[in-house]
Amino acid sequence: MKVFPAQVWRNKESLYSLIAGKCNKCGNLFFPYREICNKCGSTSVSKVKLSGRGTLISYTVSYQTRPGFEKTSPEYVGLIRLDEGIEIVAPLTDITGEIKDNSRVEAVIRRLKADSSNGLIEYGIKFRLVEDEHR
Amino acid sequence: MTDVLVYDSSMIKIDRYYEKNLVDLVAEVMSKFNSQIKPDAIILANAYSETTVNQVLLASKISSMLGFSGFTTRIENGDASGGAAIETAYYMIKSGLVKSVLLIGVEKMGDFPTSYLNEITAENLDEKFGYREGLTLQPFAALQMKQYMKTYGVDYDYFTQWPLAMHKYGSENPFAYLKFQVDKKTIEESQIISEPLRLFDTSPRADGAAAVLLTNEEFKPEIKVKITGVSSAVSEFTTLSMPAVRQAYSQFSEYKADFMEIHDSYSINAALILEEIGFEKGKSLNMLDSIQVNYSGGLKSRGYPGGATGIYQLAESFMQLAGSFPGKRAQGEKGVIISTDDLGTSAYVIGLKRC
Repeated sequence: MKVFPAQVWRNKESLYSLIAGKCNKCGNLFFPYREICNKCGSTSVSKVKLSGRGTLISYTVSYQTRPGFEKTSPEYVGLIRLDEGIEIVAPLTDITGEIKDNSRVEAVIRRLKADSSNGLIEYGIKFRLVEDEHR
Repeated sequence: MTDVLVYDSSMIKIDRYYEKNLVDLVAEVMSKFNSQIKPDAIILANAYSETTVNQVLLASKISSMLGFSGFTTRIENGDASGGAAIETAYYMIKSGLVKSVLLIGVEKMGDFPTSYLNEITAENLDEKFGYREGLTLQPFAALQMKQYMKTYGVDYDYFTQWPLAMHKYGSENPFAYLKFQVDKKTIEESQIISEPLRLFDTSPRADGAAAVLLTNEEFKPEIKVKITGVSSAVSEFTTLSMPAVRQAYSQFSEYKADFMEIHDSYSINAALILEEIGFEKGKSLNMLDSIQVNYSGGLKSRGYPGGATGIYQLAESFMQLAGSFPGKRAQGEKGVIISTDDLGTSAYVIGLKRC
């Protein structure tokens, strides 16, 4: 067994939905959520669900893979500025045609890897292009 | 407060040592060590032993092999482990509580196919997102490179200057893993790793071991090389800058080092590091003829032994100042080491001077 339920489940707020931390003291917004603000050190941090929508600043096609992730290789990886202002590096999915700069993207859930043909499956967020929406 | 001196060093050629484990590599590097001084402490710099050789308690095992029963521990901070170990040893000697520290850097990364090596190095990513998402480190460097090209209007050609220079220097270094020169065409046509990043923009991870003895000033080495200062910082990953390097180097802004050894895990990292320490943004790699940087060949040609890298950099800089480096010689009396993790989010800066 290579996928352990506890390891996946405890990360559900960053792998299944994009939960950020918002500092109630200094207003700092950061992803993934942590209980301590990484700017001011305050422990008064609220959970904020991000919209999952953003703009693709840049991307790369990576030919590097890891055991269990071969099926999605080569993989598009994007540098995304989420609408809330946070920048993240995340996998892109469902890419069929040309990618334009500043394309709009949205978060979707996709299969990341599986233990074996009938084993546990690990899911996570990837981003896909949103048609006809540019900024 | 006492000065911290570099008393002695040794290293082995970076390579793939299929017949040796981590402890064997340390035995080999210590057999080349000239000094017979018994240290007060042994600090091990190693990043990946849990996954590469399925071993923990390594500092104790190595100390035991060396017949040493005093204070020992391992420092792990990813590929910046070497820099972290040097800074720790410096503070220990400065405190006056110990008189000498033997620094050992060792790493074993040459046993594995690339995808498994990626699995190991991906441990550098945040477990909450990047690691579990299946990402590897290379696309992060590729995104930095692409943003750099867009911002400064340079093309791929610009980046070829780094591997060209590194392989030229490394071809003179008998300890270098990739001890050969390359031409521009070979670089430009090398395998795409994560576009625009190509094979020659990355550094070859392999096996290595280096050792350096640091002492207080009660010891009298033949050539006096002292560590003038240390500084470190951490930051988030950003695409066009390395805030950790900038912050750590700020204490050295007036230092005017004659030569340096920097952590060029990718060509783009070399450019970003040089620009954080004062060279012109978007142009640093055009200036390599006027900078004495990585005469070892750097990670690119000398090789990239993970957490041991910083100890190699220290040994190389010491040998430069002691006049015993067997490769391309640097001029001057002051050197600086910049030891970072793979993506430059954790930086250690160490100054050295021949007195």
